[in-house]
Amino acid sequence: MSPPAGRIPAGDEPPDDIEYADPGLARARTELAWTRTAIAFAALGAAVLKFHPVVGLPVLVLSAVVWRLGRLPGRAGAGHARGRRLLLITVTTVAISLAALVLSFTGPGISPLR
Amino acid sequence: MTDQPGGRDPATTGTDDDGTEPDARYTFANERTFLAWSRTALALVVGGLAITQLLPPFPGIPWGRHIIGTPLILLGSAVSVISYLEWKASRRALRHGLPLPRSRLPQILAIAVAVIGLIAAAFALLSAARVP
Repeated sequence: MSPPAGRIPAGDEPPDDIEYADPGLARARTELAWTRTAIAFAALGAAVLKFHPVVGLPVLVLSAVVWRLGRLPGRAGAGHARGRRLLLITVTTVAISLAALVLSFTGPGISPLR
Repeated sequence: MTDQPGGRDPATTGTDDDGTEPDARYTFANERTFLAWSRTALALVVGGLAITQLLPPFPGIPWGRHIIGTPLILLGSAVSVISYLEWKASRRALRHGLPLPRSRLPQILAIAVAVIGLIAAAFALLSAARVP
């Protein structure tokens, strides 16, 4: 007897989706995605640090915070807590881009008028 | 950004947790999609900043670097905000068993990058023509 299409396979059948056997893989992939995001923040922070230590240092600190956030335990369904973590990423990115705008017009680059 | 009922509401309405909890894998996948767009947004900001700060100026084109770089920085900001709104809309759809809303980000990103790329190509050609 085979389960209907799209249903979770019965116990005596091997699951066609490995995550039926180990749903933790989704969590692991998500942690890795947080790690990549933290690395992106760190790279940005390090690049900015070279020209503007005052702006770059907070970004580097933030990358550590992002790395930590990805590892906090938390039920997948703990909606508001997770939503706030994601909102932090968005708010930070917008703040960084505002700083980038200011820097791009006032920064020590070659004179912007040329 | 969304056609979902009430999808535009801020996080303060307190109605985000209605519906039923979806399969955790969908929740995680939604979160990973948001994180991937966030990295894209960061890359756009870095690219725009690098263009305005590190690129040598285009000869004979005043503000040329800023004309290319500033839209990239703004685009990064927009991608970041829109991806959060779409994460919220997808989460709502998942909780109510509705079809996932279509993402607008691929279209926005493709058009914006294409336009900025064309402008950059024009600047490169123009400045090359001015240099003997």
